[in-house]
Amino acid sequence: MAAVIPAAGQSAPARRRGGLARIARRKSTIAFLMALPLILLIGGLVIYPALYSIHLATLNKSMEHFVGLGNFDFLFKRDLFWMVVKQSCIFAVSAVVFKALIGFCVAHFVHNVPAKGQRKWRGMLLIPWVIPPAMSTLAWFWLFDPSYSAFNWVFERIGLPTITWLGDPNWARFAVILVNVWYGAPFFLIMYLAALKSVPEQLYEAAAIDGASWWQKIWYVTLPMMRNIISITVLFSLIVTFANFDIVRILTSGGPIDQTHIFATWAFKLGIEGNDIPLGASVSLFMFPILAIAAFFILRDINRRGNEA
Amino acid sequence: MASRRISRRKFIQTAAATSAALAFPYIRTSYAAGSLSVGFWDHWVPGANDVLTKVCQDWAKKEKVDLKIDYITSQGNKIVLTAQAEAQAKSGHDMMTFQAWDPLDKQNLLEPLDDVMGQLVKANGALDPAAQFLVKGKSHYVGVPAVTGTQVKPPCVRLDLFKTVAGVDILEMYPTLKPATKAADNWNWDTLVKAAEKLHKEGHPVGLGLGQTTDSVDWVGALFHSYGAELVNAKGDIVIKMSDGVKQVLEYMQRLTKVMPGDVFAWDDASNNKYIISGQGSMIMNPPSAYAVAKRDNPKVAEHLYTIPMPKGPKGRYAPYLPFIWSVWGFSKNKSAAKSLLATIWERGNVEKIVNGSIGYDIPSFASQRNFKIWEEVAPPKGTVFHYPPKQDQTLSMACAPAPANIANQMYVQGIQTKLIAQCTQGGKSVAQAIDWAATELEGYMRS
Amino acid sequence: MAAVLGASSAGTASAGSMKRDRKRALYWSYFFLVLFAIFFLTPPVYMMITSLKSSAEIGAVTNPWFVYHPTLENYTALIGSEQYLTFFKNSAIVSVVVVIITMIISIPAAFALARMKFWGSTALGMGVFLTYLIPETLLFIPLFKIFAFVQDTLGIEMMNHYWVLMVIYPTLTVPFCTWIMIGYFASIPKELDEAALIDGAGYLQMLTKIFIPVALPGIIAATIFAFTVSWADFLYPMAFTTSADQLVLPAGIVTILIRGDVYAWGQIMAACLLGALPPLLIYAFLMDYYIAGLTAGATKG
Repeated sequence: MAAVIPAAGQSAPARRRGGLARIARRKSTIAFLMALPLILLIGGLVIYPALYSIHLATLNKSMEHFVGLGNFDFLFKRDLFWMVVKQSCIFAVSAVVFKALIGFCVAHFVHNVPAKGQRKWRGMLLIPWVIPPAMSTLAWFWLFDPSYSAFNWVFERIGLPTITWLGDPNWARFAVILVNVWYGAPFFLIMYLAALKSVPEQLYEAAAIDGASWWQKIWYVTLPMMRNIISITVLFSLIVTFANFDIVRILTSGGPIDQTHIFATWAFKLGIEGNDIPLGASVSLFMFPILAIAAFFILRDINRRGNEA
Repeated sequence: MASRRISRRKFIQTAAATSAALAFPYIRTSYAAGSLSVGFWDHWVPGANDVLTKVCQDWAKKEKVDLKIDYITSQGNKIVLTAQAEAQAKSGHDMMTFQAWDPLDKQNLLEPLDDVMGQLVKANGALDPAAQFLVKGKSHYVGVPAVTGTQVKPPCVRLDLFKTVAGVDILEMYPTLKPATKAADNWNWDTLVKAAEKLHKEGHPVGLGLGQTTDSVDWVGALFHSYGAELVNAKGDIVIKMSDGVKQVLEYMQRLTKVMPGDVFAWDDASNNKYIISGQGSMIMNPPSAYAVAKRDNPKVAEHLYTIPMPKGPKGRYAPYLPFIWSVWGFSKNKSAAKSLLATIWERGNVEKIVNGSIGYDIPSFASQRNFKIWEEVAPPKGTVFHYPPKQDQTLSMACAPAPANIANQMYVQGIQTKLIAQCTQGGKSVAQAIDWAATELEGYMRS
Repeated sequence: MAAVLGASSAGTASAGSMKRDRKRALYWSYFFLVLFAIFFLTPPVYMMITSLKSSAEIGAVTNPWFVYHPTLENYTALIGSEQYLTFFKNSAIVSVVVVIITMIISIPAAFALARMKFWGSTALGMGVFLTYLIPETLLFIPLFKIFAFVQDTLGIEMMNHYWVLMVIYPTLTVPFCTWIMIGYFASIPKELDEAALIDGAGYLQMLTKIFIPVALPGIIAATIFAFTVSWADFLYPMAFTTSADQLVLPAGIVTILIRGDVYAWGQIMAACLLGALPPLLIYAFLMDYYIAGLTAGATKG
């Protein structure tokens, strides 16, 4: 056997090398073909429209003349534009912070529960994320209705002042963030719960022996172990929240007095309702640099730590 | 030949109707002779759509046209969005319903309807000037006023609350089934705000929307007109800073919003209805749809609701007018059928049927047709909508007039007038600051 | 000795306090869990309560948290409404087709990216993730123009037909599904590959006979994700479909069912609940796969 193999090995490499080259080429072409639909899909329906939207943003309203950066110039002069930028950032950052916080805390609570019950709790708590956001937002809309709000009904009964949920700018912002947190926190919960389970128990026991309190355990054991997953979920959620459309559109349509407009809803209003497509495209485009900067920092953070590990 | 054409049409119809159609893209062909697709406005009054459907189906049967009707709501601006999408895609319904300024803004895409209008004017007399203004384009008629949906939004008041709490006897000014009396000269903005203050104290405030939907934009437009407040003049110049009327309106509204519910700034077209039907509101500005629903869902409130003309301002009494306009797209494949349908719907008998079906909500655009019996008959309370159709003492006001159509359309859709009020009330700006803010906004609408 | 004793006594003392701590932690956990459960479940419960009310009861401003005269009229009206059933049908067709398309694109692509190196594969892997940086809210406007242009020039009806959604939705589902599948495929030990190769299997057979069966949980998870995303998307249908017979559920409920001045909220809530039923049912029966798929990234880093 041993004698045969080297002999086979001797001739085989020669054959395999020639054959290998062929296979290698074949393998990469097969691989390329398998990935081709993906490339076409992304190239044709994501990259191309994105580039086209840059082109659109350089046209005038009737899309007949080229105006270069004129649309952006116009936007930068508008107070409303900067208000939308500010609102989008506040909305995205505060919503993500609360989602992460709630997800993190509740993950701990579920983790503490004996394993049998965990499944039940997990099941119940993920429901907001499973219901299509358009429909659950309608339920919230009805809960916030100026004349028929179920919350205000309770407030009246217990003597608290009623709240103009969607009528007052600050409460409207609060309502929009609240619904977004309600919808997104379960996602964080599930991710962090899974990550919690993968933190080795010995680390906690070691910390306990060293006399660590519960929050010290979290600070020195849990958080470092979960840094990667926290970064990824925060980035993912920042992008999705920043680009959110459904919730604001259904709850407030950007009102009152445009105080809850974020990029997506304002682009929709300008571009589609206001029949000014280049302006709408310009507004949407402005999201991209902000997202890219955030993505760059977080990815670099992950990569760096990945290399360290 | 005919049979082959029919079977091809049937084939494509069934193919489109069944889900199997998804397997191959729907290729546009020009077979469409004898079929018509129409987009109508979805009526607020329960049951009103069915009357219009019947009138159209009767016509379709007689003319042997294959008719497809879509009822599109104005909630969430859906009907505006649909029109925009069809304008961009250059395809959609043959005949479509447009709101206010839109047809003038899109006149290049619309089919001239001079022949239809000529017929209608011959049969019914002159069009109301406000309607005429909105359907006459640069060189031809771009649309025909719609029978359904064309409305005014005068005050709808609770007679009992105004009498007992505010001490204003509405019936003295606008008696049941009789024309307005001399006392109606007192029904002006000043009287309103004084009454509103009293009503607010007793927990039944007046609720006038200040959001960005048409219910709010329309009445505010009339308010501006009644003070002679102009934002953009007919030439397209921004004159807001030079208009005294604007300052007066804003100062008045600063007083009025103090005694209105805090959430009026977020009201959409349904909020004011809900407000008065719930029994809490003492007055809203709305066509009788709120009354119609109250009659069904809360009759105790409905029997005190009464519609009266607008309060008088320094420059006159202006009624907030929201016309819908039926136009035919230039890309339509069956323009002759569309025109024939339009002419048929506007026959006096049909108009009366439709208006009756909407319990008097729809206001015909021909003065000669504003004498139907329905406005005397709707009850309880008796004569509740008798004063609804505008008579000689009121001028119809189209919000944002006389600005040029493309600017006016922007002003209207973005709700600049209500936002202006919101800025110096809820927004905390001073009147001067709010005017400055609006001036920059208006510059933005000059884009082309 | 003292140290050991100290350690052990500390050990027993801390063991005792640990047990007490754990018990206290448990009670607090339950307490907060109940609070959060109330927070998370209030809207769905409220939806159900409202859906059992007639419009008269809603208009009468009685206790909104309790149904005095429960009625199924909203549900029967919806199930009998041809329009609503059309929404349902459209949503179902679109979602199923999109899931199939997504799987056809993702699985081979994930296989290629996980196993085979080819020119640009690393870049593509990163690129797939980066497509999420280009959200749908940026793309819907240029897509709007592109579709209108295609319709104008080629005559293919792209506007206002729900099959357009089948073309676009994969952009939302494919990147994430590919990412999930790469994670699963990458975790399949290479020995399986080599064994198959030695047995003379081609790459296609390797994929179908080994990878797919082994990574089935991941595939199920990806399928669930793709279905849920397609069912729930709101912006694209709002922008691209307007006729009642072309709308899918989310856009249909929001734009058509909300009609007239006064909302028929009982019916709207019933419509929302019925519309949320498919994702909820899938979730109820396949919850473990669902969660496993989502967290595949979490634990596999």
